[in-house]
Amino acid sequence: MKEIFDKYHKKVYSIAYGVVRQREEALDVVQDVFIKLFRSIKNFKGRSHFYTYLYRMVMNTAIDHKRKAGKQFMSSLDVEGSFEPSDEPEKGPEKVLLQKELEERVKLAMDKLPAEQKAALIFRDVEGLSYQEMAEAMGCSIGTVMSRLHYGRKRMQESLKDYVNLPGQSLGASTVSER
Amino acid sequence: MNKSCSSVSTVLEKYFDQEVTDEEKFFVEGHLQGCPACRDALKSMEELRTLMKVPVEEAVQKEDFPWVWQKIEREIRLQDKRTWWQSLRSWLDVTPLFRRKVWIPAVATAVVLLFFSTQTIFKKTPSYPDGSVVEYVQSQTDNVMVYQLEDPKVTVIWLFESPEEERTTT
Repeated sequence: MKEIFDKYHKKVYSIAYGVVRQREEALDVVQDVFIKLFRSIKNFKGRSHFYTYLYRMVMNTAIDHKRKAGKQFMSSLDVEGSFEPSDEPEKGPEKVLLQKELEERVKLAMDKLPAEQKAALIFRDVEGLSYQEMAEAMGCSIGTVMSRLHYGRKRMQESLKDYVNLPGQSLGASTVSER
Repeated sequence: MNKSCSSVSTVLEKYFDQEVTDEEKFFVEGHLQGCPACRDALKSMEELRTLMKVPVEEAVQKEDFPWVWQKIEREIRLQDKRTWWQSLRSWLDVTPLFRRKVWIPAVATAVVLLFFSTQTIFKKTPSYPDGSVVEYVQSQTDNVMVYQLEDPKVTVIWLFESPEEERTTT
């Protein structure tokens, strides 16, 4: 189990952090995932790659955490409560504040996404998984993966239009159908 | 945005995700050279990716994971020390057959069967008392045999008057 932890803990943490965008909660997800894995690893039949099995488990656990946390706290409270003092003294306070604000906007934009689109964006844009690997981890076709990515990006661009340089040709011009 | 942009837009995201064939790559790159709108679209996707990715990478770099493993290890050990009853309950919880409560009539049937089979096995069978010949007298005309039983206290005297006729007296 320690070997698995050593090999995958950073990946697990980054997926968890990508979903919940909060340190303590992401660490709780990491802990839950490895305990779940310890209990269920005997059920892994090897029909898919181990990492896609693990990534699916992380994504489901993180989304569950997020859903439960969403019921407990108001989003606005979370904004103020989640502030952590920066350990990067080279950045000026104004820049740090702007960065925090931007991170918060990204977090709010991601929170608005349906779980499948959020998962697709994290798997691709954060973790760099291929369409094939994503399809395996999400249990769907490559076409569905592309559709989820397309609509997820489109929604994110709309939510973050003040921060992202929106082009004349938006992603909305594409012909990918929502599944 | 020009006319050919609509034909590129279907593969632009694939190109951005590095999932295009060589032919598609050649086509998109050729188009991008002359189309600032599609270059902007690509740049926009890149900016979005950076916005999502950089905070995650920074969070991973800041984190100290060994203590996380210690917590996990402690929790796993605690689970290993569960009582046999907890283990049985968790096994029942994960077994689909038992999760559906099918086991209730099954256990009831087993108990009834066990009850009846025990009754049959341990049923008292009549045993013949271990009698003992107290005395056996033999003559040319009559023979007498005396049995004495311990429980119940009974004495049985057999009188053999002749080889053909036998009379029992108690």
